[in-house]
Amino acid sequence: MSMILFLIVMVIIILAAAIYAILQKDLLYAVLATGVISVILSIFFYLLQAPDVAITEAAIGIALTTIIFIITIRNTTRDEDEYTDNHVEKFSKKK
Amino acid sequence: MELLNNILEYLGLFFVLLGSIFLFLGALGIYRMPDIYDRLQAGTKASTLGAMSVALGVGLMQPDWLIKLIVIILFIGISNPLSSHALARASYHSGIVPFFKNKIDAYENVVKKEKKKH
Amino acid sequence: MLKKYIIFALIAVLGFYLASTFKAIPFGANRLGDLNNPETVSAFYLQKSPEDLHVANTITAIVVNFRGFDTLGEVTVLFLAVTGLMSILYRKEEEETEERLAIPSSSLVRTGAKILFPLILVLGIYVFVHGHLTPGGGFQGGAIIATGFLLMLITYKTFYTNHNVMTWLESIAGLGFVAAGLYGLIVYGSFLQNTAWTGNLNDLISGGLIPLIYIFIGIKVGTELTSVLDTLLNIKPRKK
Repeated sequence: MSMILFLIVMVIIILAAAIYAILQKDLLYAVLATGVISVILSIFFYLLQAPDVAITEAAIGIALTTIIFIITIRNTTRDEDEYTDNHVEKFSKKK
Repeated sequence: MELLNNILEYLGLFFVLLGSIFLFLGALGIYRMPDIYDRLQAGTKASTLGAMSVALGVGLMQPDWLIKLIVIILFIGISNPLSSHALARASYHSGIVPFFKNKIDAYENVVKKEKKKH
Repeated sequence: MLKKYIIFALIAVLGFYLASTFKAIPFGANRLGDLNNPETVSAFYLQKSPEDLHVANTITAIVVNFRGFDTLGEVTVLFLAVTGLMSILYRKEEEETEERLAIPSSSLVRTGAKILFPLILVLGIYVFVHGHLTPGGGFQGGAIIATGFLLMLITYKTFYTNHNVMTWLESIAGLGFVAAGLYGLIVYGSFLQNTAWTGNLNDLISGGLIPLIYIFIGIKVGTELTSVLDTLLNIKPRKK
């Protein structure tokens, strides 16, 4: 019973983090939300008796993907709207 | 032998209980404290001790796993304070002012000295 | 107007076929089949990998031996992705004048990273050397090694990975994988065929070519991911 309750809470956290990552305009927070999804997914893979996939998800999903996204944000823009605004300006100037 | 196993099991249960109390206090601190420095203080200190004593309790209950769990305890003991230190330092350098700002800010002078060096 | 009706009709037809496809899949049912019946695929794998190949981890036996050609394709995909990224972003070292870190890391962090780096490397090497005994393997071990190098790259300003060594290691690992495949082709008549001698179950040196191939994959994935991180971190940050 407590196991089922735990799984339900975990699934709700995954869904909430995914929706947050889509709706959030600050890209750094969105990336961290995808990291949370990876953490819980790796726990799920371990509980479903797939430890190989759990290790992969832990190493690649939590550490490497998040870090690569953060480096990309450092080199581009952190705000989603700023990026689109800049491009709209450039596009309109060309015309 | 039976008595020793019983004693080890109750000791392990005690450590797990202690650890879960500390983990709960860490979570409460993260919820209750006003800014990032206080949250790091409450969260990391309590959760480091909590995770370490939960691991120790599990090790006492299952003596086969004790060596692996001691390695895990050492790893937590090194990495958890380090990460909280790095987070606090990064948030100070990115300009987050402490909530209860006193007149004395001892770290400010250190930062100025470091900037002069570079 | 006609367009809309055509689109609706297409969606209806596609939806019908999708629904009928999903209807055929027995969700929730036991799809492993009877594990004692050797005609099913899962029973074949579960019986063959300990008995014939002497590999304790069935997933490794499937990934490296039964589906070894797919793994070669996966490694090639990763190699091509890294090659594309490097060809766009790589710059020679003489042009690198900028700082990788905005603020230098404190001595506490540097000492801690120095302690943790060898431990992480040992864990990664353990994961891919024991790929045929315990969960894990080349991809996982390589990713863990890359996280260890990442720790050093973001802590030390002066930590550089030697580009020549990385290139040689990566090329030798890739060549080794193909050479192991060609060995099977020449000696036994099919690509990536395992050797006849496979040792004993649960031994470190067992399973024929499987541990060797996983070591090659581990080195290859580790060096590739490390060079991706190194290249990305050496880009100049945008001026705010």
